[in-house]
Amino acid sequence: MSIPADLKYTKEHEWVRIEGDIATFGVTDHAQEALGDIVFVELPDIGREVAVGEPFAVVESVKAVSDVYAPAAGEVVEVNDGLEAGPEKVNEDPYGAGWIAKVKLSGDTAELLDAETYATYLEE
Amino acid sequence: MRFLPHTERDRSRMLETIGVSGMRDLFADIPADLHIEPGSLDMPDALHEAGIIRKFTQAAEQNRHAGNTRCFLGGGTYHHFVPAVVDYVIGRGEFLTAYTPYQPEISQGTLQALFEFQTMIARLLGMEVCNASMYDAATSVAEAALMARRVTRRERVVLAGSVNPRYRTVTHNYLSRISGSSVDVPCSGFATDVDAVVEAIDGETACVIVQYPDFYGSVYDLASVRAACDAAGALMVVAFSDATAFALIEAPGSLGADICVGSGQALGIPMGYGGPQLGLFACKKKHVRQMPGRVCGMTHDARDRRGFVLTLSTREQHIRREKATSNICSNQGLMCTAAAAYMSLMGDAGLATVARRSAAALSRLVSGLPDHVRAASGPRFNETVLSFADGDSRDHFLAGAEGCDIFAGIPLERIDPKAEACHLLVATTEMIEAEDIADYHAALEAVR
Amino acid sequence: MSEHYSGTHGLQHEEPLVFERAHEESVSIHLPGVEGDLPDDLTSFARREAAGIPGLSEPETVRHFVRLSQWNHGIETGFYPLGSCTMKYNPRVNETLARLPGLAQLHPDQPEHTVQGILALLYELQEWLGEIAGLPHVTLQPAAGAQGELTGLMLIRAALAAKGEGYRTKVLVPDSAHGTNPASASLCGMETVELKSGDDGRMDIDVLKAHLDDDVAALMLTNPNTAGMFESDIVEICRLVHEAGGFVYGDGANLNALVGIAKAGDMGIDCLHINVHKTFSTPHGGGGPGGGPVVVNETLAPYLPVPRIEKGDDGYRLLHDDDQSIGPVLGSIGQSGVLLRAAAYIAAFGREHLHKIAEDAVLNANYVLARLKDAYHVPFPGLCKHECLLTDEIQNRHGIKTLDIAKRLIDLGFHPMTVYFPLIVHGAMLIEPTETESKETLDAFCEAMLEIAAASEAGDTEDMHAAPLLPIRSRLDETGAARKPILVWTEEES
Repeated sequence: MSIPADLKYTKEHEWVRIEGDIATFGVTDHAQEALGDIVFVELPDIGREVAVGEPFAVVESVKAVSDVYAPAAGEVVEVNDGLEAGPEKVNEDPYGAGWIAKVKLSGDTAELLDAETYATYLEE
Repeated sequence: MRFLPHTERDRSRMLETIGVSGMRDLFADIPADLHIEPGSLDMPDALHEAGIIRKFTQAAEQNRHAGNTRCFLGGGTYHHFVPAVVDYVIGRGEFLTAYTPYQPEISQGTLQALFEFQTMIARLLGMEVCNASMYDAATSVAEAALMARRVTRRERVVLAGSVNPRYRTVTHNYLSRISGSSVDVPCSGFATDVDAVVEAIDGETACVIVQYPDFYGSVYDLASVRAACDAAGALMVVAFSDATAFALIEAPGSLGADICVGSGQALGIPMGYGGPQLGLFACKKKHVRQMPGRVCGMTHDARDRRGFVLTLSTREQHIRREKATSNICSNQGLMCTAAAAYMSLMGDAGLATVARRSAAALSRLVSGLPDHVRAASGPRFNETVLSFADGDSRDHFLAGAEGCDIFAGIPLERIDPKAEACHLLVATTEMIEAEDIADYHAALEAVR
Repeated sequence: MSEHYSGTHGLQHEEPLVFERAHEESVSIHLPGVEGDLPDDLTSFARREAAGIPGLSEPETVRHFVRLSQWNHGIETGFYPLGSCTMKYNPRVNETLARLPGLAQLHPDQPEHTVQGILALLYELQEWLGEIAGLPHVTLQPAAGAQGELTGLMLIRAALAAKGEGYRTKVLVPDSAHGTNPASASLCGMETVELKSGDDGRMDIDVLKAHLDDDVAALMLTNPNTAGMFESDIVEICRLVHEAGGFVYGDGANLNALVGIAKAGDMGIDCLHINVHKTFSTPHGGGGPGGGPVVVNETLAPYLPVPRIEKGDDGYRLLHDDDQSIGPVLGSIGQSGVLLRAAAYIAAFGREHLHKIAEDAVLNANYVLARLKDAYHVPFPGLCKHECLLTDEIQNRHGIKTLDIAKRLIDLGFHPMTVYFPLIVHGAMLIEPTETESKETLDAFCEAMLEIAAASEAGDTEDMHAAPLLPIRSRLDETGAARKPILVWTEEES
């Protein structure tokens, strides 16, 4: 189970990478493994304002659907179009090619966990 | 009881295995005061098979049916010819008595038939994808409106007044308990008022629903509706009643339909006093994840052989529950197999013959009308409206025609309560012969 | 393989798609009708390019579809213990009856005096369904169970609105419910609140009480529930909901356990849909058509859909207009052909035998449970009703999952049970052996299940992971199908 040290996490199994005022969102290795083979990712519209904890994307396997909740508030500025043709990237590389969206931060963030805390949370 | 295999000895041995002393012990978890005395229902005594056959045959003989009359009734249900092979195919126990194909390895027959059905319907309608059926045309139209709302994230639905009133009523009914509005655009002259429809489309409109050919059989140009939808960002939903039309006239997909919905009853399914019908639902591929209902997809098995499965299931109620695209579960699966067998047998040429003869019969009927009856003007496929001087003369004719084994039409106000009681909705199919039309004309002359 | 199982053997034909069989031109079929060209005023609307529908000869068509049929498993082929689906024998005579020209070849808008025979049969069916459920007012219109749910919720909303309580839109649904329940509630503009089931698989009265407030419109309840357990507190449950001002909607999917034994109306249920394709044996047809008549009490009766069949002094007639009605939910009076088959099934049992449907169905389920309860984990011990729930907990220790057990059953000659439903237990296997199965069949199925459990225990699991090996196809790539959906045939796919 991979949990990179340089990212922050939520208890709903999203990860976030903050660089300046831009945050990149995705789902964790644990989440993709629990869902199984991802077949579709519903991406948010660019320009949409998302609030903390709001479902902004949907990840689907053959027989399960999971909302992805925004770890931080902001405006969606970029989405990973590559997932339309290759949703399996979420399985293969959840922290890299499997990223979902980038938002321009507007302030609020969820209670974010560091890698160590998230790892402990998973063990519990 | 002939459907129950157990002997009394079987039952007592099984009760013993379970560890209870009698049948009633199995129901001990049901409070005693809820139990009813076995055999106490207020119902007739059991009938043996011969008795049931007699009962149903006697009931059937009280009805007059299309097999021994001449049926000029339409309004969404049509008396087309159904080859014996169609009924044989769907009577096969392997198709008839299977459940939804949840276990694809042992359901490849149903699945391949569905895939062939989806392909043939998509081709006939000129659409990219098609689902594995809805209940009927009316609920297909309602589901199309709901889908258009999801795709556009808008809530206003515009329906042309020339859409079958039953489709409109069911659609309004489906939409009336959720937010948003649905409006009817009045029509005139028993045809679609395209200008009024275009006028009604605005920037809040999720979709406009038109019927083509419309409820009155009228065929018209959809180009301005398409252009208005493009300008407003709305979807164009095209409904239809008799799918055979599109072997003759241009298919809705070629005319730019985003969603195309209607009845598949004309494709090998008997009229059946209203059911089982077959609701068809087709759309553009880019919207497929908002489509309601089941859909079959092509894939391969572990040994790389071609096979089929139900797919895109995450749209459906058993997975997405309250967020599903629809609540539909059981659909009209067997009717899809019937339509697939029918179309395989007919082919392009057979379907074109059916459609051409249906239209030719109407032409012949209309061109020979006596002058006390007026037919609606403009191009018609296989259905039109005949107008009489008043209700009495119409009803007098209907009664006379019935005496000559002719069901001459549907009083329009029966389906369209707003219509004046002097019109008849009349439809023709390839089951109408020249002699039947001559008799129809004679019946009209008789009440001149 | 044991000689007791039919397995799958023999001559299996590969069969191409009908498009791959098609001739360059379609074979002409000889049809009746008026010869004629395209009418002049339609020429500008003529279709330019043919659709590409095959057009095979009659013998080719028959062989194509017969071969496809042979890749299917149906209730006529063998045991089909799909839980919550009630796969029972579909009497052949019912097929003959529904095809009588005087019943099948009727137009829905024929004058009513020409259809008195079919109206009489349908009216009688309404009375029978009302009597069986103890809810005397009936609509035959809903096309399937899910549409029955929508209809019932519409009726409840209408009754609430009439009382000035239209603001009540909350629908309570146990977490063991069918997915159609919450989906129907959403379609009816209502919000679903999920109720967590108790540890015994039944409704937890305290959880129910905690959710009963002024916003509650209805509780949707399946009884027996989808774990196969009778909700023994049903009378109390209904009383509490009524006291809070709500209605109780009964999901009749599991009516097979109660026919002729107890009535929904007596329990306090206000409204129930009946899946005639389950309880009353109309064929499932590979997904439909079904039928979902709704039966209701006096309070909800005024709002039933139109058209309605009414009986008067001069015969039967259809009532099309009624101001109080919720209106039609379907374009016709219902799935007549399906409903006629249901009427024939009920007529065959009649007053003196109807309860035997439930008795033998419940006997069979408890017998299977008794034979399997030591080899498989039973999450909610005790008597079951018409279906029994097991899980893969024991087999999991050896790496065997519910899916493997299901697929292995196919190689042993049985249709699998319902898998991974209900959602309230992990690795669910819901087994519903209906009243039309013999003890011999049940024994063979139990032997197969025990053989699988023993093989799992012995670590002899290779066959199970690869299963099924014998059908015309092995496990299919559902992931690939969903990632890149191919929903229609194009020549490039070949």
